[in-house]
Amino acid sequence: MAMTDFTIIRRSMTSRMFSTVTTIVTVAVAVTLMLTLLSMRDSGRRAFERGTGNMHMLISRDASPLVSVLNGIFYADPPARPIDQAKLEELGDAFPASFFIPTQQGDSYLGLPVLATVPEFFTRFSPDPNFNPDARPDEPNGSPWVFAEGRAFERSFEVVFGARAARETSIQLGDRIVLTHGTDVSRKAADRADLFEPHVHEEYEYEVVGILEPTGSAHDRAVFSDLTSSWIIHAHDRRKLEDPDVAATTEADLIPADRLVTGIYGRVATRPGSNVSAVIPSVLSGLRTDPTITVAQPKEEIDSLFNIVSNIDQILIAMAAAVLVSSGIAIMLALYNSMEQRKRQVAVLRVLGCSRGRVFGLVLTESAVIGLLGGAAGVLGALIGSQTVAGALRARIGLVVDPVFEPRLMLAIVLGTVLLAALAGLVPSVLAYRTPVAKNLRPIG
Amino acid sequence: MTAPPALEVVNLRFRYPGSTEDVVHVSSLRVDAAEAVLLTGASGSGKSTLLQLIAGLMDPAAGTIRVAGREVHALGGAKRDLFRGSSIGMVFQTFNLLQGFSAAENVMAALMFSEVPKREHRGRAVELLKTVGIETPDREVTRLSIGQQQRVAVARAAATSPAIVLADEPTASLDPDSGDAAMDLIQSTCASIGAALVCTSHDPAMRSRFQRVESLDRLSAPSQQQPTEPAGA
Repeated sequence: MAMTDFTIIRRSMTSRMFSTVTTIVTVAVAVTLMLTLLSMRDSGRRAFERGTGNMHMLISRDASPLVSVLNGIFYADPPARPIDQAKLEELGDAFPASFFIPTQQGDSYLGLPVLATVPEFFTRFSPDPNFNPDARPDEPNGSPWVFAEGRAFERSFEVVFGARAARETSIQLGDRIVLTHGTDVSRKAADRADLFEPHVHEEYEYEVVGILEPTGSAHDRAVFSDLTSSWIIHAHDRRKLEDPDVAATTEADLIPADRLVTGIYGRVATRPGSNVSAVIPSVLSGLRTDPTITVAQPKEEIDSLFNIVSNIDQILIAMAAAVLVSSGIAIMLALYNSMEQRKRQVAVLRVLGCSRGRVFGLVLTESAVIGLLGGAAGVLGALIGSQTVAGALRARIGLVVDPVFEPRLMLAIVLGTVLLAALAGLVPSVLAYRTPVAKNLRPIG
Repeated sequence: MTAPPALEVVNLRFRYPGSTEDVVHVSSLRVDAAEAVLLTGASGSGKSTLLQLIAGLMDPAAGTIRVAGREVHALGGAKRDLFRGSSIGMVFQTFNLLQGFSAAENVMAALMFSEVPKREHRGRAVELLKTVGIETPDREVTRLSIGQQQRVAVARAAATSPAIVLADEPTASLDPDSGDAAMDLIQSTCASIGAALVCTSHDPAMRSRFQRVESLDRLSAPSQQQPTEPAGA
């Protein structure tokens, strides 16, 4: 194979392998950081926005509206303080509701959070903020829940799995499962001795009757059970404490203290074609006069959260940009330092007929190639890194983030990196261009 | 129509920037095609500088240099570089091979800047190397012996079938036997490709190898200023 400019560039890079690799790694880290931050920022925001769904409010007894949203919608931690039946009924009468869906959290299945709720959860609530349960059939509407397999629960002791939950547990329709009291998060938070031996509600098996399509929200990794069943299994625990010989518990055995919920998804009735209502502010004001509950507007809480986070985002992205510029300087230094060793090579190439312009181009191309390799490695790193971050977010706060890389953004960053590298290569290229030939052909020493 | 001389130098003067004295002063020098000339002079007399002027690596203060009928310094930038690559071969005292490249790649590097079609580069390089006695064209040059490296350098100089080969003290780094072998190779290679050879040396023993020997002192016109060599140059 004939010698080409790329043969010379390749040899130049491999002859300084350590320097070349460390420079490429420096560029790759910067690109990884930049891409991961950009991807996670956009994907994270989308995931949070999707999760709030079409509810107008979330009522709980959590410490603050933001905590309420993180716990009640994103499964960060099971809410600690429940709402009793009397309060539930009182709140249900407080406003013209499109839906008023009680939820209870606290149990888990193989580490996945279980949300006990009512069938309306699947017919009225949707993770899609644009879904209006009161829309006319001919009206444009968002997406309701879609079942990949099976159906919603209709009877006690039936469960539905979110898409990711089903995938992670390889669950099938018809499988029978038992739930575990508490979640990994709650047990760790409580420093419970039963961390490794959690209480399993083994007296009651649930049948898997449905598996949902992915929604891109935190609900994808949840398991949904019937609320009454959840009351029954916990009432059974209560009754066993009172009488160890108790055989079974049914709905008839429930007392008001058993009928607890930890959250309420609420939506105010809206006019057809609209997802908002003029009465929402007054409903919220009215509810917020009750000091025993916390009323959160999920969308507003997420917006507030991201207003705070976006400032940090910008700082992080600026830092990533600074790292990228530093990597450009690293390229310049690596090539600059190599020029002393390469003067003779440049001089020999000039003798053989290589023009100054071509020598300039060789060094500049080498710099750009380092940028390209670093950029490509950075893209790979970002794909892996963002999945790692997404996994950590899912495991730690239950937030399902599917990092999405816009091809145009990736291309722009890689091209920008190549351009930056080429700019960084200008100084060494000029040095190469100006290398005096005669002086550098002389015998050494 | 007769072929132009391989080299024609007229009233050439060169001095380094800031200097008031000429380092090189050649009134007239003509080397015909396939002719071999030995340029002699004391160390630092400007022999290497003259070769670099002929190769177009430096610009003279005055005078003209024609190689194969082309006025070298009338060619600008890249054109001069291409002309050098295709018409002038150079052999150096320290070989100046490209480190990290194989023997064949060193020869092909000379062909890179010529008009020889790319598909012929490899075959031509291997053939040339075989001609000069290198049977391991893919061996990296630093793994070759000194003598073998000199052979690669000669093959590289001859790769483009240049009109002239400039050899700058080609035996200065070699012992007498190796030097003889190297000169045999250079002269026979030039003869085989029909290239003129201008060789510089301060070794008196080299004189017997050449029918024509020119001293730099004698090349300057008596009426003009004698070249003054910088001390230690």
